[in-house]
Amino acid sequence: MIRNNQKWYDKPVTKLILVSIALTWIFPLFGFVLSSFRPGESIKRTSWWDAIYTGRVWSELSFQNYQEVFRAENLDRSFYNSFAVTIPSTIIPITIAAFAAYAFAFMEFKGKNILFLFVVGSMIIPLQMSLIPLVQLFKDGIEISGIQIIPALDINGTYVATWFAHTGFGLPLATFLLRDFMMGLPKSVIESAKIDGASNFTTFFRLVLPLSVAGIAAFGTFQFLWVYNDFLVANVFLGIYKPENLVVTSHMSQIAAGNFGEAWHLRTSAGVISILVPLGVFFGLQRFFIRGLLGGAVKG
Amino acid sequence: MNEKKQSKYLTFGISTLALVVFPLLWFLSQAILFRELTEQLARNIVVLIAIPFGSTFIFLLFLGMNKLIHLAPKDTRDSLEARMFVGPSLFMIGLFLFYPSLRTIFLSFKDRYSQEFVGFDNYLWAFTDAEMITTIRNQIIWLISVVILTLLIGLVVGWLTDRLNKGEAFFKSIVFMPMAISAVGASAIFKFIYEYRPPPLTQIGIINGIRVSRGDQCWNNREISGEFKGYDDPSCINPVGWLQQRDLSALPISDTLEAGGWFSNALINLPVNTLLLMVIMVWMYTGFAAVVFSAGIKAIPAEIMEAGQIDGASELRIFISIVIPYIKSTIVVVGTYMVVTVLKAFDIIYVSTRGDLETNLLAVKMLDEFSKYRNFGRSSTVAVLIFVCVLPVIIGTALRERENSDL
Repeated sequence: MIRNNQKWYDKPVTKLILVSIALTWIFPLFGFVLSSFRPGESIKRTSWWDAIYTGRVWSELSFQNYQEVFRAENLDRSFYNSFAVTIPSTIIPITIAAFAAYAFAFMEFKGKNILFLFVVGSMIIPLQMSLIPLVQLFKDGIEISGIQIIPALDINGTYVATWFAHTGFGLPLATFLLRDFMMGLPKSVIESAKIDGASNFTTFFRLVLPLSVAGIAAFGTFQFLWVYNDFLVANVFLGIYKPENLVVTSHMSQIAAGNFGEAWHLRTSAGVISILVPLGVFFGLQRFFIRGLLGGAVKG
Repeated sequence: MNEKKQSKYLTFGISTLALVVFPLLWFLSQAILFRELTEQLARNIVVLIAIPFGSTFIFLLFLGMNKLIHLAPKDTRDSLEARMFVGPSLFMIGLFLFYPSLRTIFLSFKDRYSQEFVGFDNYLWAFTDAEMITTIRNQIIWLISVVILTLLIGLVVGWLTDRLNKGEAFFKSIVFMPMAISAVGASAIFKFIYEYRPPPLTQIGIINGIRVSRGDQCWNNREISGEFKGYDDPSCINPVGWLQQRDLSALPISDTLEAGGWFSNALINLPVNTLLLMVIMVWMYTGFAAVVFSAGIKAIPAEIMEAGQIDGASELRIFISIVIPYIKSTIVVVGTYMVVTVLKAFDIIYVSTRGDLETNLLAVKMLDEFSKYRNFGRSSTVAVLIFVCVLPVIIGTALRERENSDL
């Protein structure tokens, strides 16, 4: 909407308040990013604002910390782990949810409303509620009154455990969002495809899926960032004690939490690297992300 | 007749296969396959295989089900297909979310080894244990402060950016950006700000840095003509370990508070570290609130705003009497989201203080009881508490939504 009466907008006070808020918001990041380019010894000897004040900082800047954090800290391995966790944890729930959303949106079957209510209702479950039993399920399976229903799998500490966990936590929202999106597609197109004799499978793959790309992207961006930035699930299902199982966030938490003494040159550089991926995704796909976020306001 | 019965059995058999056996098979085979891969192969190769095949393995399930359904009689195929489409989703939600939640409630009534029933002992513990009471207190402080602060600053930013002719997207992006940063990263960033180093070391956290530089002889080890000038002069203020301050008693301000009445007695218990940790969350989530509010404000018809202007209402007046009532429902939605988020807040505390020094929150306590103390009963109880707190908030949202759709 274009407002023609802009007289009382754009006052200096408005700008002043906004600029100061923006500066406050960017400020914590500034000293942190700057320090990631300073040698560890300098960080400890001179504060970063003094270094700027005296002008020394310009001669200090280097990528040395970044090299060190990759070479000595194996941060690249954590990156591979993060992607091995994140990508399937995004695609699996989307796939399962897209099929279900299609059925909820375009097919008629018994108990449709009740089942959909079940899906929506499970969105309210905080993931804390399912952590312990899931860990037990992934280790020992399910045994009810002496009968082993699901065998002992012993998958904790492997990627596949996090895939399942994130699938469970992401599915209700994914199903809900994608159904919402598919409901908005023109029904006549889908019906005419059916009249032409296309099977549900074909309609789904050839017609509905391509039309739902925006909805899938919205949830996908949201889920990708959520999983990539997640620490709790990675902590519980991959563990933080085996270095080869660390993802970026858990690795970052190890570096940030004390046992690295005063290694601020590693903390800052690892921190900056760890936020590069989500920031890139965020600025690239901001539109989709906000949309997924709005829908995901009640995710478990 | 017989034929009809036969086809009924066939349909039943196939739908059981599609709804239970196939998803279960998928679950088991994916689990075992990738577990074995992890054990047998080098890590790099596992990653290479895991990303493409871990993602697409699920299609096998649907393709297999599709093949299976084509064996069924034609007239039942439609309803079978519907079940095949929804089945896996329901199965996974049931197995990974619904069953575990019920079991958590069940476990919360059992002892630490999940052997014996202990009745409400765990719940009694949750409301009497000193550490739990602190945790609940913190959770309440967090809920009130973080939600109010994010909503307030979010409203201000959303409202003010809307009034700009240009640069709106720029300001919103800056405030929104921390939302993309992990809570772990954000905690590291703020730990650097709150950093404390014992004197006479240089203070590299900006808050302590400013503290110790106040005064004529205080330089925070700045290099002046080749010499490092410190802050060891008696007139200089000492640095403070901010995240270690569970109240004001160790700070200089407490001397002035000593003399006061009940108010200063209450104020001296102000949990400084908890407040400082909350700043991290406000920093992260304000942008989200701002973006949502700004979308809501844009939906206000221009005529209403103009009517307010013509009547000579001040900007504050317009904000309070027009904007806020108009986006009330949006405020409630964002508030709900923030309440749920704060109740599940985990990373910030875990990374910055590990829940020590009276900063604990429910979600961290839950994991502590689980992995540190190995008390499954208590851990489940804390999880149930989180759930019980989330429940009314979300039910309220659902009810409101229904009301709105009725209108």
